Amino acid sequence: MVNESAESGFTWEVRANSRHYHKPKQKKSFLCFRWGRSADNVVRSYKYTPLTFLPLTLFEQFQRAANVYYLLILVLQCVPAISSVPWYITIIPLISILSLRGLKDLSNDMARRRSDSEINSRPCDILISQSFQMKKWKDVCVGDVLRIHKDQVFPADLLLLCSSEPHSLCYVETADIDGETNLKYRQALSATHEDLTSNPSEEALSSFDGVVRCEEPNNRLYTFRGQLQWRGEGLLLDSEHILLRGTVLRNTTFAYGLAIYTGADTKILRNSGKVKLKRTQMEKVFNKVVMGIVLCVLLAALFLAIGSGVFSAQLMRQNSVLSALVFNSNAVYTGFLIYWSYIILLSPAMPIALYISFELVHTVHSLFIGWDLEMYWQQADKPAQARNTSLNEELGQVGYLLSDKTGTLTQNRLLVRQCCIAGEIYGDASVGAEDVEPMDLSWNPFSCGGLFMSAPALVDRLRGNQCPLSRQFLTALALCHTVMTEWKKQTPVYQAASPDEEALVGAARELGWVFLSRARDFIVVSELGVTRRYQLLALLDFTSQRRRMSVLVREPEGGIKLYCKGADIVILERLQKDSPHQERTERALELFAEACLRTLCVAVRSVPEASWEQWNKTLAQSATMVTCDRDALLEKLYDEMEMDLQLLGVTAIEDRLQDGVPETIALLQEAGIKVWVLTGDKKETAVNIGYSCKLLDPDSRIVEWDELRQILQSPDPRVSFFKPRQTELWAVDKEMAVAKTSVVLTGPELTEFDQRPEWGATFMSLAEHCQSVLCCRVTPAQKAEIVTLVRKHTSSVTMSIGDGANDVNMIKTAHVGVGLAGVEGGQAVQNADFALAQFRFLQRLLLVHGRWSYRRISLFLRYFLFKTCSFALVHLWFGFFNGFSAQIILLTRHWTKFNIAAVIVSVGLFFICTRITHNRFLFEQSPKEYIFLGASDYAFTDPVVWLTALLVAWTAVLPSVTAHALSVILNAHDKHKVHSVSHQSVELRSHFRRGTPLRRSSYAVSQGAGSGRHITSATHMRK
Amino acid sequence: MVKQESESANRPDNTAFTQQRLPAWQPILSAGIVIPGFVLIGLAFIGIGVALLVTSRSIQVLELDYTGDSNGSPCSSCSQSVIANCKCSLNFTLTTLFQGPVFFYYGLSNYFQNYRRYGASKDDNQLYGDLSSFTSPSSSCSPYNYDSSKKPIVPCGSIANSMFNDTFTLTRTVNGTTNNVTLDGKGIAWWTDYNIKYRNPSVTPLKNAFNGTVKPINWAKPAYELDASDPSNNGFVNQDFLVWMRRAALPNFRKLYRRIDASGDYQKGLPAGNYTIDITYNYPVRAFNGAKKIVFSNVSWMGGSNEFLGIAYLVIGSLCVVMSVVMLIVYAKFKFPDEE
Repeated sequence: MVNESAESGFTWEVRANSRHYHKPKQKKSFLCFRWGRSADNVVRSYKYTPLTFLPLTLFEQFQRAANVYYLLILVLQCVPAISSVPWYITIIPLISILSLRGLKDLSNDMARRRSDSEINSRPCDILISQSFQMKKWKDVCVGDVLRIHKDQVFPADLLLLCSSEPHSLCYVETADIDGETNLKYRQALSATHEDLTSNPSEEALSSFDGVVRCEEPNNRLYTFRGQLQWRGEGLLLDSEHILLRGTVLRNTTFAYGLAIYTGADTKILRNSGKVKLKRTQMEKVFNKVVMGIVLCVLLAALFLAIGSGVFSAQLMRQNSVLSALVFNSNAVYTGFLIYWSYIILLSPAMPIALYISFELVHTVHSLFIGWDLEMYWQQADKPAQARNTSLNEELGQVGYLLSDKTGTLTQNRLLVRQCCIAGEIYGDASVGAEDVEPMDLSWNPFSCGGLFMSAPALVDRLRGNQCPLSRQFLTALALCHTVMTEWKKQTPVYQAASPDEEALVGAARELGWVFLSRARDFIVVSELGVTRRYQLLALLDFTSQRRRMSVLVREPEGGIKLYCKGADIVILERLQKDSPHQERTERALELFAEACLRTLCVAVRSVPEASWEQWNKTLAQSATMVTCDRDALLEKLYDEMEMDLQLLGVTAIEDRLQDGVPETIALLQEAGIKVWVLTGDKKETAVNIGYSCKLLDPDSRIVEWDELRQILQSPDPRVSFFKPRQTELWAVDKEMAVAKTSVVLTGPELTEFDQRPEWGATFMSLAEHCQSVLCCRVTPAQKAEIVTLVRKHTSSVTMSIGDGANDVNMIKTAHVGVGLAGVEGGQAVQNADFALAQFRFLQRLLLVHGRWSYRRISLFLRYFLFKTCSFALVHLWFGFFNGFSAQIILLTRHWTKFNIAAVIVSVGLFFICTRITHNRFLFEQSPKEYIFLGASDYAFTDPVVWLTALLVAWTAVLPSVTAHALSVILNAHDKHKVHSVSHQSVELRSHFRRGTPLRRSSYAVSQGAGSGRHITSATHMRK
Repeated sequence: MVKQESESANRPDNTAFTQQRLPAWQPILSAGIVIPGFVLIGLAFIGIGVALLVTSRSIQVLELDYTGDSNGSPCSSCSQSVIANCKCSLNFTLTTLFQGPVFFYYGLSNYFQNYRRYGASKDDNQLYGDLSSFTSPSSSCSPYNYDSSKKPIVPCGSIANSMFNDTFTLTRTVNGTTNNVTLDGKGIAWWTDYNIKYRNPSVTPLKNAFNGTVKPINWAKPAYELDASDPSNNGFVNQDFLVWMRRAALPNFRKLYRRIDASGDYQKGLPAGNYTIDITYNYPVRAFNGAKKIVFSNVSWMGGSNEFLGIAYLVIGSLCVVMSVVMLIVYAKFKFPDEE
């Protein structure tokens, strides 16, 4: 048995109700030692413990080159022989920067701990010694049996044992996992269902002793392989039996589950990636600059040390006071020591104060982001929030915006906005959903609002019994679906697997065709107050290939009707010949498409009794057939039935976008930012949203995987990529044509990238020219992979935005992660660098705050480099006048004052004065201004930079050079006059001493006769 | 109302500061601003430069070199001998009045008082009058902290040891009679040095404080006997000592020696006539190619004579004007056609 399970790869063993078996196996850690197999169910997103805080934070901080450099300088300063500057000059800023940074990290970590403990202490029922006890999430252990109530979130990955519903079905909402909003059902094994629900459940459950053998914890969300060993039987398990952590139980009173993976082993946490220390591009540039400065300092010190050696050697030849000060009477040794002294002296060239100021500027800027009223959402009382305060300037550099769809672009609300019945269009989509005049539906006792369509004409026709087609249309809506009802306070509440259906059934209810209830073989509908019971003969379900669904019902009067709804192409080709209203309906379809509404065609067919019987017989036969044949046969059968349809009309549903999404996307695209959509949802939905939020133009070419693969495989991908478009629109220039191309990919197709890593670069070079890229049906891990792909192959800054747990990984992976905290504060926000309430606030975050931050920080950096370099250069220059002795030019206390003043004044100045522009709405008028992407890359390669530096240096030297030149010219003739002062009268003349050439042929100080003797004795004394 | 407030508890304040609406000024650097701006700045600089230069030129400076490195110069014999207190004298004639107040400086060139280890070679505690530092001078004074017999040197260190020790007297010859010009040696040191940094130990007589110590190697007299004429001008607060201890920043420097006492004939300065400076020549500078000189100078509102500042202003000013012309040409050449 054991061998067998090992062969099949099922090495993970879970024994139900045996804590004593699993507890010792839990992972534990002490310092850096870890042991144990399974994780406990405690979320630990914090980094530090009291013990590890100090070493960890120091380790992180000393990864910065400047901090290490300063530490070395500090060590050097403690050596008295070379200390040119007192030690406290360096240690004060170093300690303050380390502690500031450490405190900031600590407070961030405390916040993480708080949110962790909030999650860890969520309640759940655990079966302990024959009864369910209210416990916390963190108490869940592998092998525990849990009871989950309706609308609760599953605390771990569970095996569904049984539920309160018939057949142990249960419904889960997976929006946090894959972004799909429809309900999915899970069903328990019939073995567990039968045995565990027949007896009183708690006893049966506590005596349940099954053993689950399955694969090791992994990040594959949609697959699960395992085996339940129970009562000597081996029952196969797959993902249909698994309830994932993070999903929500819906429409089910309670479900019982066996914890298989807990905590860090759960699929969603396996998908969430690691916390990474994010660093900005600016910081990388800055680190490079630091390296450059250090190198320059070392070189300058070397040069000065050589000068000092020469100077000392000359001192040695004289009997002077100074020569006694040469170390060990050795010029080389003196030079060596002076080298270190100069390194210390020139070290302020490396602006450590800048780090402090950086932190300050960042913090203040983060506050500004939080304070911005234009990013405050009144409805939820949520201001924007900069959770990571050190990434502000990165906002001004974003090149790729990777967005989630559900909850981010869309509101997750579907509204029926228009319909077309018998060629007649009702409703007006050009009016915003909120502005629709509500119709008077008081005649309808079941009406409870939620219809954003104003069509009094339709209501009149329906109630006046004028138009049989429209009545049939609504009957179709009320019958042809898979919605379930639940009665609450005398009104039916609809629970749908598809939000589209829920919207349609809801609309029918408002108009008087109320779907009351469903049983296995009949559907009860109230048509304008008359309750009718339809016998459900067959349900021809929806698949993504068929793109339609039908119901076959027997009317109370006895006739058999087929009601069908589906995508327009599929329905239109199945209509009767010369179907009336077809032309006008097609025009309506175009109209709806222009308004970015999702359309469904509705059709009906009267089925003769004889053909139904015939068809039913064939259906019954095929049910007994082998699987793969059966599927094909069923499809054929369904096809036969859905023939000769009579078109009733078209519904038009609006997938409500968040406020201002199309405008924001248009603005960002104009600003040169590439917007990609990564969603777990279906391709059709994603493309539709792409159109409605102006991401895709109606006339843009969509490249799908097959075409893309051919292009990637072709020898010259770029040419083949642009080719089709060029032939099509030969007159339009190339760039324009390409800009209208978009790529649509799906998750399974993306896995091919793993096998062909060389495609990544090619794909990115093509994608750079595309209008957009849409990735559908991708897992959270794949979302992160796409982000990594973009990061790897472009130098652009990437930004991810999302709202759910499925976006956490990509939020963590991108340079900047934004979490939407619109309606509910989610896990995305916990892991994001910035939290916004609405997608549209992005334009302000990026185009105003990002831009300001970037420019301010750039100016700031420039100012600081200027300040520190000027300081170092003065000492370099002064070295020539003081015998290269590493003499500081200012008193040390003035130096500190100078630094502090520079920090405070500069921070103040840069916030008060350097407003980039007073016009707050500039970004709306010219978003193109945003593009100076990657300016920092050019900071040192642009010749203009070096020309400027040269000119500045020249301007700085010019006065001195002129003064020297003038003095040489003017004083040339009486140069010796000073020295040959004689008995003759001296004429008064003005002083012109500046020009006296420095005689460096010899240097020294000397005094008094016989000092040489003392010196030698003095040096002799020195021991 | 209350409910509404609680609903928007997180609403940010709508103030000019939080909404970044504080008034700010952002110059738009267009040609219309930059070119006139440059001209204005240039003209202003040229004005300041001319003013500085004229002022500087109006300052009277008289420099007399007495190093004596060329044969025939008055102090050449003294510069070659090693005799202490060698006497030599320097004559000069003033043809016009030297406007007062006149300052009397000595100048040294090629003298590195700014050498770091030279500068560090003193004991601040000792100079503050701390008697414990008298007996054990700081190691920073090394090798001038103890003499060959291990006695502590007070004041220790290289700076004190190398104190300038030439002395001067100024005489004026009027109608064959020689009169001394009174020199005022009070208040020539920095206020902070005299009142704060340097202090004699509170021991009377001062001599007792120096028991068990020796004078600096190169000194002729101990610190408490520096000024025989004025007992209060001795020890560490001796004005000449303080002037010397305040290090010069550059290798060519001058230090204030005395002021010409503005009384009697000298109220307006040094009148025209023949003058003689009697020099007690002690300080050797030829070993390091140094030079010594005597400088008479008066001051103006900008301090002593400094032509560099005026020149610097002039250069930058003219550079601005030249650049504005260049920019104007560039602007005219490239910008105007566009606008039409």
